Amino acid sequence: MNTKKLLSLTIVSLMLIALLASCGGSSANKPYAFFISHQTNAFTNELTTAITTKAAELGVEVTVYDAEKDPAKQVSQIETAVNQGIAGIVIEPVSVDGVVPALEAAKAAGIPVVVVNQRISKAEAADCFVGVENVDGGKLEMLTAAEDIGGSGNVAFLLGPLGSDAQIGRTDGYYEVLKDYPDISVAFEQTANWVTEEALALVENWLQTGTDLKAIVANNDGMALGALKAVEDAKLLDQIKIYGLDATPDALAAVADGRLTATISQNTTVQGTTAMDTVVKLAKGEKVDPEILVDFVLITKDNVNDFLQ
Amino acid sequence: MTKNNASKQARLNSFRELGIVAAFFLILAVLVILSPNSFARPTNLINILKQASINGILATGMMFVIISGGIDLSVGSTVALAGVIAATYAHPGEYPLVVPIALSMLVGLAAGIANGLIVAFGNIPPFIVSLGSMTIIRGLALIASNGQPVFNVTKAFENIAGGFVLQYIPHLVIFFLSVTAISAFVLTRTVFGRRVYAVGGNEATAKVSGINVNMIKIGVYSISGFLAGLAGLLLASRIVSGNPTAGQSYELDAIAAAVIGGVSMTGGAGKWYGTVIGALIIAVIGNGLDILNVSSHFQLIIKGTIIIVAVLLDVKGKGNQ
Repeated sequence: MNTKKLLSLTIVSLMLIALLASCGGSSANKPYAFFISHQTNAFTNELTTAITTKAAELGVEVTVYDAEKDPAKQVSQIETAVNQGIAGIVIEPVSVDGVVPALEAAKAAGIPVVVVNQRISKAEAADCFVGVENVDGGKLEMLTAAEDIGGSGNVAFLLGPLGSDAQIGRTDGYYEVLKDYPDISVAFEQTANWVTEEALALVENWLQTGTDLKAIVANNDGMALGALKAVEDAKLLDQIKIYGLDATPDALAAVADGRLTATISQNTTVQGTTAMDTVVKLAKGEKVDPEILVDFVLITKDNVNDFLQ
Repeated sequence: MTKNNASKQARLNSFRELGIVAAFFLILAVLVILSPNSFARPTNLINILKQASINGILATGMMFVIISGGIDLSVGSTVALAGVIAATYAHPGEYPLVVPIALSMLVGLAAGIANGLIVAFGNIPPFIVSLGSMTIIRGLALIASNGQPVFNVTKAFENIAGGFVLQYIPHLVIFFLSVTAISAFVLTRTVFGRRVYAVGGNEATAKVSGINVNMIKIGVYSISGFLAGLAGLLLASRIVSGNPTAGQSYELDAIAAAVIGGVSMTGGAGKWYGTVIGALIIAVIGNGLDILNVSSHFQLIIKGTIIIVAVLLDVKGKGNQ
């Protein structure tokens, strides 16, 4: 028997079965779709868990699409899902611009769209944004650091990838707070691209200059933990306080140990559950606010036990 | 070839590597002048050695592969996988320290053997094989860790890379020096080493002269994989966690170190000490520019320029002879 013929026959029959199966499914309850930029860190995992848990609680089905940080992939995933027929979209976008046309097409097809965590460049392309103002997180983090060091001295900033939404917002928040603290000066400010080992090497190098730092303020926890290791290795933890943002499990553990001074939670679970809740409301035809903001929470040694699982 | 000619040839060969050594000292001199109080301090020089170590270990493995005429793009992913596995078995009160150490290196070795087998027997270009395995291994690292950093490791585990010998010399540096010494011996003093050069220089001739080319290929990828496993263990110990996204683009830094050090991308040529200098140059630039508080955007441009200029000097130097 010709193997090529056999192979193509198998593929065609599989495709037919898939087609029939999808036709059968679409007549009943359409599933919701959750598009996420990637699934490689604690934040995205927590967001996904929040959404799927909330969907189960509401008794609806949700399919998770992982774009693996590729904007083009996310666009194709949206188009494919819309073609198959879905009840609503929750999206954590890879790109602030790239997904806009695909979302507009979905909205035009009558599918409600909720954007979560990261804003898109054209707010009207979605029905609702659920998330945080990064600048507020930065403000809360810097304000805590400024108060802790008594309002004077050198600080250093570890930034996310320059130009990313979170990096810009959080860093703007730092500088807004610094306006009220003229005696605090920024000795170093550099990107470590969210990466622990990059932050570690960077802070090791800063410490070599002998600059008298009072605090290191990082755009995320991964980098704060790199800074923490460098400061501990240099036996300077009694002189330099370190601040992170995101409240990842390892950062919470470090706060509980009294090594990391504070981290900030962007209430990821609340963002996820609110987004899922909102898209279901929209699908039922209810009205919702175009923007639902979730508050940041400061986590120090005093309240860390409430956040440890 | 007469004895006289042979020694003349050897002198010429070592002269070729001088360009890069000179470039290294030139970069050092510039940084010492720009930052006499911070850069040139002994503690910072040790710090640079420490920061060069992980890339230096990866570059050493990469050197074997490139000299044999291949390339291994999977080492960055292997660093992540080995690190995640190491951290997973290094939680307090679970397994003895030898378990994470052995497992991480076995994982690296397994990845290397797999690469080697496919390159040797599959007749697929090494670039493609290791591009594929790079992606697969990254996936395995994410699966093994549930996509999250693995933390909460023992003090002893942290001490693998974080400890010091004689109070001042970081363990990382000792690992780097040991790997370098063993590799230098294997490459220059063993039959295997000579055959690696022979296979990279001209595979057909090597085959005709009775060398088991496939075994040599499996050998070099195994070395590269094993050293990537070791680097993963050391990185996980250094950042006190196993991170599935760690080690991204480490393969490029390793290739850069080897190439800056004069290892020929077409195979058959390269010196162990060139690779060491290459790794040091990359670390020195990063350290010096951080200390001078140069924006990371400019750092990228400076690093890239130095890679190209270093190779240009090397090629020019060889051309003149």
